[in-house]
Amino acid sequence: MGLRWYHFAMWAGFIALMYAMPELVSKGTLRTFIFANFLAVFAISWDVLSGRTGYISFGHPFLIGIGAYTTAILTKRFDVAIEISIPIAVVVTMIASTLFILPALRIRGSYFALVTLAFMELIYQLVQVIRPDLTGGTRGMSGIQTLTRGAVNGYYMSLSLMLAVAISMWLLMRTRVGTALSAIGMSEDSVLGSGLSTTRLKLFAFLTGAFVAGLGGAFYVHYLGSIAPRALFDINFVFTIIVAALIGGSSTIIGPMVGAFFLTYLLEYLRPYLPGAERYFIYGGIALLLYMYQPKGIYHIVMQAWERFKPGKSA
Amino acid sequence: MSHPLEITNLVKRFGGLTATDDVSFHIEQGQSVGLIGPNGAGKTTIFSQIMGELRQNSGTIRLYGEDIGDLSTPARIRRGVSRTYQVPRPFGDMSVVENIRVGLMPDSIWKMITQGPDRDREIELALSVGFSENDLNRRPDELSMGDLRKLEMARTMATGPSVMLLDEVFAGLTKGEISQIGELIQQMRRDGMTFLIVSHDLGALEPLIDRAIAINYGSKIAEGAYADVISDPNVRSSYLGVA
Repeated sequence: MGLRWYHFAMWAGFIALMYAMPELVSKGTLRTFIFANFLAVFAISWDVLSGRTGYISFGHPFLIGIGAYTTAILTKRFDVAIEISIPIAVVVTMIASTLFILPALRIRGSYFALVTLAFMELIYQLVQVIRPDLTGGTRGMSGIQTLTRGAVNGYYMSLSLMLAVAISMWLLMRTRVGTALSAIGMSEDSVLGSGLSTTRLKLFAFLTGAFVAGLGGAFYVHYLGSIAPRALFDINFVFTIIVAALIGGSSTIIGPMVGAFFLTYLLEYLRPYLPGAERYFIYGGIALLLYMYQPKGIYHIVMQAWERFKPGKSA
Repeated sequence: MSHPLEITNLVKRFGGLTATDDVSFHIEQGQSVGLIGPNGAGKTTIFSQIMGELRQNSGTIRLYGEDIGDLSTPARIRRGVSRTYQVPRPFGDMSVVENIRVGLMPDSIWKMITQGPDRDREIELALSVGFSENDLNRRPDELSMGDLRKLEMARTMATGPSVMLLDEVFAGLTKGEISQIGELIQQMRRDGMTFLIVSHDLGALEPLIDRAIAINYGSKIAEGAYADVISDPNVRSSYLGVA
């Protein structure tokens, strides 16, 4: 994996800073951070599934929603304990993600993206029509059991989840499987020509991305205590996830995390000045500027700077 | 003993066009065979069928006696046949060693995760095709066409083939690069590799092959020693444009 001391130092510094955050900022800011933590989890999940392989998912809320709905229904309607319902939700999400592999065997690029978008629309319609007594129909569900009370606890919970996901995915993607998934994004035919089963690799990417999405969706619903289908299966939510991953730097794991915080903070920072939808113009503009200047995102801007002072470079 | 590669009555049709028309040939262990013919004769189509990128309509493809005609491309590669492409297709955002790393990977996700890359073997392969130490971390967009073909050779060799199919390995190369790649192929022939080589550069091809097969309009029109094939009247009229 090629781990160096400065990797440990940077993670340790980041973790220490993040755990100290409740001492440093107000409760209101902390709630923003909670959203950023969850957005980071979703962006990392998107990055694992789409960022490397180039199979762009526009239907990520499909996976998040399956994780969220599964645990919400199990706990609220069937009184299943959270410790049991969350693992079940994750497994169900992973099974659902195998539906992605069917179009991925035949189509690539924008066609694949459109099919995943259709998946999201499909589930949006399904939760409204099929068994609304279970799903809550259009209005969604509320009064779902929560894992934590208060901003501080909510922050620690979301932070721990985000760090566990970020570090494990970062380590996983540093192995050769990360290289192989990136190779699919660059030339799928050459991966086949190198004797590797691309179907198996794509399935692995989808299952891993779904694992994270299901986990994030399940924890998110038990943080909010409610679920609103219109906000969840919303194209703006898809774009927020994708823009977070791309601004930060896709196929890097760290990038989507950085992007999620950047985006959330930017939107919150602009809120007093631009209360309405104008904020999205600003964020769209900044995203556009970043792509023009550095399409690989913030991560690469930082890495370029880092390369100049990297410890042990002369050795 | 069964032959490394044996093709029998291979037929491939695209609609009304028969791209491979009842082609049969075999290659003996350690032999190098040249596949020649005019543009569009169906040479690359034969390669694609051997690799499973295209499925034949009928006929058999055997590798060391085993019928591989129904296997996936990765499964065929694991059994020891591998090819290069007319247009090199490197992984654009990866260095030379990382490109070779993909070729060296086992087709097992568990092993990809638990076992680190074999740095020594990656470097050994890169150097064996003629890269220098300075080239190891260069990216494909910094490489010449000759270097790209070397990289393609290295990644193909990394899959551990015993039969290699080379498609237009000399196209777009300088004289120096042609002799470098030619020398590499000669070295591998001495080490016992079996080759099927497509090339329009007959001058560069001749010293690398034991015999030649000529095809035109998907059919085999001649087979034998290079000199005999090239003086065959059918080959002369179809390929060289002389009666």
